[in-house]
Parts: sequence; structure tokens; C-alpha cells
Amino acid sequence: MRVWSFFLMAFLFAWNVAAQDGMEMRHLVRQGAIALGVNPLTASARNAFYEARGFTVAAIRPYAEACGFSFGMQNATDRAMRTSLSDWHAIGADGARIAFTLPEAWDAQWERAGVPAAARIAFKWAQFQTNNAFEPGDWIMGMATLKGVPKAPFRLVARYQDNRGDHELVLDKLECARD
Amino acid sequence: MNSFSTNWNAPVTDRRRFIVGLGLLAAFPCVWAQGRGMAALPAVSPAPTLRLKDADDKMIDLAQYKGRVVLINFWATWCPPCRKEFPSLGRVRKLFKPGEFEVIAVNVGEDPDAVFSFTGITDFPVVFDRDSKTMGAWSVRGLPTTFLVDRQGRLAYRATGGREFDDPEIVNLIKAMR
Repeated sequence: MRVWSFFLMAFLFAWNVAAQDGMEMRHLVRQGAIALGVNPLTASARNAFYEARGFTVAAIRPYAEACGFSFGMQNATDRAMRTSLSDWHAIGADGARIAFTLPEAWDAQWERAGVPAAARIAFKWAQFQTNNAFEPGDWIMGMATLKGVPKAPFRLVARYQDNRGDHELVLDKLECARD
Repeated sequence: MNSFSTNWNAPVTDRRRFIVGLGLLAAFPCVWAQGRGMAALPAVSPAPTLRLKDADDKMIDLAQYKGRVVLINFWATWCPPCRKEFPSLGRVRKLFKPGEFEVIAVNVGEDPDAVFSFTGITDFPVVFDRDSKTMGAWSVRGLPTTFLVDRQGRLAYRATGGREFDDPEIVNLIKAMR
């Protein structure tokens, strides 16, 4: 009984801390000291976030309605690593491979739509960047969207490189978030 | 190619697996706790120009801090790890004499009124990079990003992602640079 109580308290404490930080992730994969957290994001959550930063509902709609995630990636190794979002993709239950829309493509759309500069700056830095470099101890968060909606449940493949070569992290049984 | 996968949502059916699952969940915030330390930059080079106004329209110029170690923190209020680490900027600032160490927080792309509602009054300058040009000049790759500038005005260390700046590892770096 004591063991159960200990784990239950640890769980509740951990959950509370993570929730307070606003950094909880629903899916997690680790490879040694590399960790990737993935949180599917609803359209309403993204609408609210970007409307508060200067987007109109109409402007942000295509982004908010795309299948999107918040990523958090940490490098707790003693060597540098890097990622390229163009190497990441989803594989739907039907086997179809779907790439990510790069932040630069969204920004070109915002420019054409006349989105205010401050809103574009917030958008740019809220994304998981096209290219990320992680020094030892670094961790980076950001949002990203897929170019299409994979048939659920789908697999996410996230690649990274370090001085030992190419590696990939795989998360299964994902679904796009719905309101 | 190394491959590794975890099915976080896998059903657990017996007590042992459930306890293991709880243990993993309990460890989860450790993953998303702040990062550790700061990485030494491979080539020590002069810090880029940093001349920005604070909320009172006072110009803050990094050049005026030569002779002190300066911690430059690029951040935004909408960025969760930025918000989490922000109080530690004030704590680390208090660990040193003003003549030897300073903190400058560079807010990116936001309105001073909105920022003040989060920061309140701080013991260190909070300046505004409204068009993010300074951030670009400093080759920032994501928020938050923090640099340590040495007494000669050179870039010495960088951290991408949140930190607790009063962590002994970082405090010792600053002590060694004084």
C-alpha cells in the first residue's frame, strides 16, 4: 500500500509541476539522453494563441486547421546534434508519407496576406525551426504542421544527426487533435 | 540508422507495468525541466552591437558594460520556458556586485505594456527588439537563447532553451569570468 501511495503522490506531483510549466507533452520518446515530446494541438488552441498575437481568425485558419503539434526536444548528451524539419515526416495507417510544412512557407503566406510584422515575428519564433542546432544541455520547443492529414493512427519519424551519424526517433499511434 | 520507439499510450494491464508506467510519468518533468549549463562558443568573437530602448525609452548599450560580465537573454512572454526561467535572471543578478556582472533581458517583438504586466519592476534592464533585427544579428536560433559576454565584450557562452541561471554550474561559469 505504501508503494502505491508513493507512486501515486509522485505521479500527482509530477503532473502538477509539468502542468504549471505549460510544457507537458502527451507523447514522449527517448533515445539515450535525447528526448522528443510531442503534443497534438487543436485548432482552437492555435487560433487563441495566434489571435492574441495579432493574427485575424481568417489569416490563421489554414494553419490552425492543419494537423499540428508542439514539439519539445532536449539534448542531454555531451555532444552537439542538429535537426532538419524537412527530414521529419508522418506515415499514415494507409502507408502514405506526409511531410511537414516548413515555417518559411507559412511566412510567405503571411506576407501575401498582409499579416502585421509583430504577429509574423511571434509566429516565426513560436515554430519548431526548419534547422535546429542543439549544444549539450540545450532544449528547444516549437510548433509545426503537416502538409496533410495522415490516416490515423499514424507514425511520426523525427531524424537528427550528431558526430556518430544519422539517427531517428519514432512515435506510433498518433492522431491529429480535434476540438 | 538507429531507431527507437515508445508507445506512450499503450494500455497497461497489470500492477507491475502500471507502477513502471507511473514511474516513467513521474520522471517526465525531469525531461522538460530546464536544460543545464551553457556551451562554450568555439571561437571567441566580439559580441554584436546591442543598442535598444527600455520601457522608459532609455537607450541601453551593451558597450557601456565593458569591464563586466553580461548575461544577455532573448525572450518573449508567450514562450513557456522563457517565462519559467525569467525569475532566475533576477536571482543570479543578486549573487554578484553590479560592477562585475549585469543581466540584460531582450524582449523580442512585443509591446512594452504587455511585457511589463509579466515582468513587473526588475533589478536589471529589459529592452525591446520590436523588429527582431538585433536577434537576427546575434544569430539566435530559438527562444529563449542566452549568451554570456565576457569583460572584454566578447561572446563566450550560449544556451538555447530554458535554464535556471542561479544553477551552480552557470554561477561558477560567471565567477570564473569575473
